[in-house]
Amino acid sequence: MPESPIALPGQERFVAAVEETPLADTGSFDDTGSPENQWQEAWKQLRSNWLFWVSAAILSVVTIVVCFPQLFTDIDPTYADLSRSLDGPSKGHIAGFDKQGYDVFARTIYGARASVLVGLFATLVVTLPGVLLGAFAGFYGGITDTLVSRIADIFFAIPLLLGALVGISVINNLWPNRGYWASIFTVVFALAAFGWPQVVRIARGSVLEVKNLEFVNAARAIGKTRRANLWGHVVPNSMSAVIVLATVSLGVYIVAEATLSFLGLGLPPGVVSWGNDLAAAQVQVRSGIRLGVMFWPATALAITSLGFILLGDAISDALDSKSRNRE
Amino acid sequence: MNPTPLLQVTDLQVAFSQEKIEVQAVRGASLTIYPGQTVAIVGESGSGKSTTAHAIIGLLPGTGRVTGGSILFDGQEIANADKKKILAVRGSEIGLVPQDPMSNLNPLIRVGKQIAEALEVNGVATGKEADRRVVELLEEAGLPDAARRAQQYPHEFSGGMRQRALIAMGLAARPKLLIADEPTSALDVTVQKQILDHLDRLTDELGVAVLLITHDLGLAAERADHLVVMYKGQVVESGPALEILQDPQHPYSKRLIASAPSLASQRLLAQNRTHIREAAQEVAEETADEVAAAGSEFGRGKETIIEVKNLTKVFTIPGGAPWDKNEFTAVDDISFKLRRGTTMAIVGESGSGKSTVANMVLDLLKPTSGVVEFDGVDVSTLKGKHQQLAFRRQMQPVFQNPYASLDPQYSIFRSVEEPLRTHAIGSKSEREAKVRELLDKVSLPWSVARRYPSELSGGQRQRVAVARALALEPEAVILDEAVSALDVLVQAQILKLLADLQAELGLSYLFITHDLAVVRQIADEVLVMEKGKMVERGSVDSVFVNPEQEYTRRLLDAIPGGTIELSS
Amino acid sequence: MWWYLGRRVLQAIPVLLGSTLLIYAMVFAIPGDPIAALFGDKPVSATVKAQLESQYNLDKPFIVQWLLFLGNALHGDFGMTYSGRPVSEVLAEVIPVTFKLAVMALIIEAFFGIIAGFYAGLKRGKLFDSTMLIVSLLVIAVPIFVFGFVMQLIFGVKLGIAPIVVGSDPSIPDLIVPALVLGLVSFAYVLRLTRTSVVDNLTGDHVRTARAKGLSDGQVNRRHVLRNSLIPVVTYLGADLGALMAGAIVTEGIFNINGVGNLAFQAVRKGETATIVSVVTVMVFIYIVMSLLVDLLYAWLDPRIRYA
Repeated sequence: MPESPIALPGQERFVAAVEETPLADTGSFDDTGSPENQWQEAWKQLRSNWLFWVSAAILSVVTIVVCFPQLFTDIDPTYADLSRSLDGPSKGHIAGFDKQGYDVFARTIYGARASVLVGLFATLVVTLPGVLLGAFAGFYGGITDTLVSRIADIFFAIPLLLGALVGISVINNLWPNRGYWASIFTVVFALAAFGWPQVVRIARGSVLEVKNLEFVNAARAIGKTRRANLWGHVVPNSMSAVIVLATVSLGVYIVAEATLSFLGLGLPPGVVSWGNDLAAAQVQVRSGIRLGVMFWPATALAITSLGFILLGDAISDALDSKSRNRE
Repeated sequence: MNPTPLLQVTDLQVAFSQEKIEVQAVRGASLTIYPGQTVAIVGESGSGKSTTAHAIIGLLPGTGRVTGGSILFDGQEIANADKKKILAVRGSEIGLVPQDPMSNLNPLIRVGKQIAEALEVNGVATGKEADRRVVELLEEAGLPDAARRAQQYPHEFSGGMRQRALIAMGLAARPKLLIADEPTSALDVTVQKQILDHLDRLTDELGVAVLLITHDLGLAAERADHLVVMYKGQVVESGPALEILQDPQHPYSKRLIASAPSLASQRLLAQNRTHIREAAQEVAEETADEVAAAGSEFGRGKETIIEVKNLTKVFTIPGGAPWDKNEFTAVDDISFKLRRGTTMAIVGESGSGKSTVANMVLDLLKPTSGVVEFDGVDVSTLKGKHQQLAFRRQMQPVFQNPYASLDPQYSIFRSVEEPLRTHAIGSKSEREAKVRELLDKVSLPWSVARRYPSELSGGQRQRVAVARALALEPEAVILDEAVSALDVLVQAQILKLLADLQAELGLSYLFITHDLAVVRQIADEVLVMEKGKMVERGSVDSVFVNPEQEYTRRLLDAIPGGTIELSS
Repeated sequence: MWWYLGRRVLQAIPVLLGSTLLIYAMVFAIPGDPIAALFGDKPVSATVKAQLESQYNLDKPFIVQWLLFLGNALHGDFGMTYSGRPVSEVLAEVIPVTFKLAVMALIIEAFFGIIAGFYAGLKRGKLFDSTMLIVSLLVIAVPIFVFGFVMQLIFGVKLGIAPIVVGSDPSIPDLIVPALVLGLVSFAYVLRLTRTSVVDNLTGDHVRTARAKGLSDGQVNRRHVLRNSLIPVVTYLGADLGALMAGAIVTEGIFNINGVGNLAFQAVRKGETATIVSVVTVMVFIYIVMSLLVDLLYAWLDPRIRYA
C-alpha cells in the first residue's frame, strides 16, 4: 500500500456534485415503446436500410406482374406473326419482335411467371427438407448425423448444373410432352435434388451452435423433452442463416433456370419463360443484330433476381446487427 | 517543488454517433498522471473508463471521437492530433497492455516477431539486434525459456504467458506511460496476482507511469497511488487511493465500496449469514416433511438434500491415430453432502472441473462413475417420464451468462411460464398469477413480462432466470457462476436476493464460482477444486481463517484488496 | 497428420462411390435405345445389336454395369463412347483445355476479387464500397451466358481483339475472354468474402494492439489485416476450382471450346452413359482432391490448425 503524499496539482481530492452525477436505479428499465423480440428488432433495422426498400419495390412489381400479367399488355405472348420477324420497336410494340414474330414485351411480361415459380418452388422444396435433415443431424448427432452428412456429401460433390442437366434429360426421356406444371416441377426437382445439401450444412451448423447454449440446457433441466427442446428452442433460434440463404437462393435459382433453358434442357420451348426467350435470342446476339430481343428478358430476369438477392443481403445485415448488439 | 505532469486530461468529452445520434460516452473527465506514478480508473461496464484510455492513444473504436477537452502528454496536445503526431507517441511514448490476452495477439505471427515489430517501427532495434532484444524483453516480463518461446505462435501460450508477452510488447520501446486496460481480468486469480506483482516491479524499476483501468476496486486500491472513480461517463470522485477507500464521499463510491466482495469489510456479513441459514433450515425441514408425507419417491434424504459420492467424469478425446485415445479426467473422485437449507460453494479456477460437477448433479451429463443422490434417491435410477419430471421439479439451475440463459425469442412471461407449462401445472390464469408472484419475488415489475430478454440489463435478466428457476418451487438450486458476469453493484443485489429467497423458501444452494471473495457472503461450506480433484473442504469460516492446503492459501492471498483495512 | 490424411481419404471413398452410383442410376433410367439412336434410320441386325450391347455391357443389370465400370476405371479404362473412341482418350483431350480455362478464371477472380474486396473493406461505407456491393450483386443476378454474349460481342465482334469462338487446342490469349466470363460470378463471391473478412479483422483486438505499438495504417493493413483476411478466401478459391470446371459447360458452349463441359453436354444429349458417368467421376474426384488440398493449405496458413 503506497503512502499517499501531499496531493500534487491536478490530483487533489475531488468529489463531483451529486446533482450533476445522479445515480440511476439499477432495477429500472426503459418501459417506453412496445416490446420487441429479435425479429421485430431486425424488422426495425431492415426498415432503415434503403436497399431493403429498393428490393421491396422490385419484388412488389414482380409479384403483380406474375399474378396479373394481363394488366401490363393486351398482346398474346403465344401469337406469332412471322412477317414481323425481328421488326424493331413500333407503336404498341415498344420492344419489337423476335425471330418468330412474337412480341418481345408481351413475352417478357408473361415469362415472369414461369421463372419466378421455378425459383419459388425450388427454394421451398430445398429448404423444408434441408432444415429438417440439418436440424436432426445437428441436434441428435451420432449415427443420424453421420448418415445425413455423408448422403449430403454425395449430392454436394456432384456439381449442381451437371447433375440438374442429367436429371432433366432423364425425365425428358421418360416423360416427354408433359404439361405446364409438370415441366416447371421437373426443373424444380432437378435443381432441388442437388441443391439441398447446402441447406443441410447451414442448418446443421446453426443448430450445433444453438444446441449448447445455456437456455437450451436450462430447458432440459426443467424436464422438457429433447423433441420439445428441438422445436421449441433450437430450431427457432437457428433460422437466421437459413432465412438469408433461402432468400438469396430464390434469386440464384431463377438464374439457374435460365441457364438450363439456355442449354436447351430447362423448360420446354412451349412454356413462355425468360430462359427460353434468352436461349432463342442467342442467334441474334451472336450476329449482333436486334440486341433488344435479348435485352428485355435479360433485364427483367436480372432485376427480379437482384430483388431477391438484395433482400437476402438486407435481411442478413439486419439480423447481423442484432447479434452484434447482443454482445 | 512541483514536478510537471506527464499526462493531463482536462474536461475530456468523447461521443459515438449511432445512426446520426450522438451518444456521449465520456462527459468531462479530468485526470493527471505524474512520471512514475500509478493512477487507476475504476468503474463498472459503461462507465467510460476504457473509452477514456483509448481516447488518450487515439484508438477510439468505430465512430468514436473526442468532441471536447484536452489531452496534454508531456506538454503536447494529442487530442485530435494529426496521424503523424499520434503515431510518434504510440508505442514509443505511451504503451498499451490490452484486456483480453486471447484475442490481442495476431494468431498467425510468431510471438517474437510481433514484439520485434514494436521495436522496429519505433526505431529501437532492427533485424538480429531486435530478435536478441525480444528475448530479453520476454525474460524481463517473467517468461521462462524466452528464446524458445519467442519462436512460438500465440496459441501455444497459456493465457498468463500471452499476457506476459503483451506486457513485453507494451514496454518494448520503453514508453513513459503504460496504459493497462483490465490487464488481468480474463485470467485466474493466482495468475492475476503473479502478473500484477511482476508488472508493479517492472514499472517501478523502469520508472514508467501506469494508467490502470479496472472494474475491481480492491485491485485498484492495492496497486494505485491515485484513484479516479468513473460512473456513466463522468468522474464522480478522485483522490489518493487510500483516502477514497476509507472515506468515500460521493454516494456512488460509497455504494461501490460497500458492494465490493473482495474488500475486507465484507467479513461483517458472515454474522448475517447465520440468521439466514437458521431461517432457511427451518423452512426446508417443513418442506421435506411435506414431500415425505406426500408419498413421493423423494424425501428419504433427511438432513442431506444432495449427496455426491466418488463422482468421476472422464472425457475421451480422439487422438491422431484411430486407436489413439487421450483420456482427460475432468472430475476425479469428488464427494460431498449438501445439507438442507444451506449453501455449499464449489470454488476453482478455470479447468478445475467445477461446472462439470454441476452438470452431473443436474443430470445433464452422465458421470463415468460415482453416484448423485437427491433426497435419498440415486438420480441415475430414476425411470420413466413421471419420475424424471418429479426430480426436475426439485432441482433447478441458474447459469452464468445472462445473455445466453434466456431464449431471446421468448417473452419474459413465456420464459418464466415455460416450466409450469412443461409440467402442466395450473390453468392459464393460475399460471399467470404464479408468474406475477415470481416476478414480484425477484423485485421485477409486472410490466417486464411482455418484454424480451434483449430489452433488459444483465442483472434484470439474471433476476428473470432466478424467477424461472423458482417457478417449480424446487428444494435445491444449482447456481453455476450465476453472478460472475455481473457488475459489482448488480452482483451484490443478486447475492442479497438469493440470500433473502433462501431464508424465505428454505432453499438449498450449490454455488459454483471462481471467485472466493463472493463465497464468504453466500456460502456455509466450501469445497476447493483444482484440476478435477478436491483440495480442501470445510466450513467457510475454517477454510478462510485456517486454510490447510497451500493451494487454498494461494487462492486466498490472490484476492485483490483482501488485506486493506477499512475504517467503518 | 498422416492419420488425418488417411481418414480423409477413407471418408472420400463412399462419396466417390455414392455419387457415381447416383449418376449411374439416373442415366440407367433413360429408356431409349442408344444402339438404335447411334445408327439413326439405318436398320440394325439383331446380331450386331446384341454384339454391341454386350460390348457396352448394356445387357447386364445396372449394379453390375456400375461395378464393371468402377473396376475398369481403376485401370484407367472408362469405357467407350458410342462413336467407338475410348472415353479415357477423349477425357485426356478435353480435361487440359478446361483445366487451363478454369485456372485462368481462378487467377482472374482471385486477383481482382481480393484487391477490390480488400479496398472495399478498408473503405467501408464509402462510395467504392457501395459500388462494389452493387456490382457484385448484379454479377450474381445476371445469368452468366448473358455476360458471355455481351463480352463476345464487344471483344470479338465489335472490337475484334479476341477470337469470337475458340477452336480445339486454344492458346492462353484465346482463353482470356472466356476465362473472364467463367470467373465473373466467383469474382463477386471472392470480393464479398474478402470484404467481410477485412471488416471483421479491422475491428479485431489484435489489429488495435498493432496500432498501439505505433504501426502506421499501411503497416497494419499489410502485416495484420491482409494475411488474416485471406484465410477464408483461400478456402473458397480452393473449392472453387472444381466448381469452375463443372460450370464451364455454359462458357464452353458460348465460345465453342472443346472442353469437359462441352463433352458432358453432348453426352447428356446423346445419353452416353459411359461418358456422363466418367465426367461426373472426374469432377467429383477433382472436388475431393481440392477439398483435401484446401484443408492442408489451411493448416499451412493458420498455425492454430494442426491435424494431429
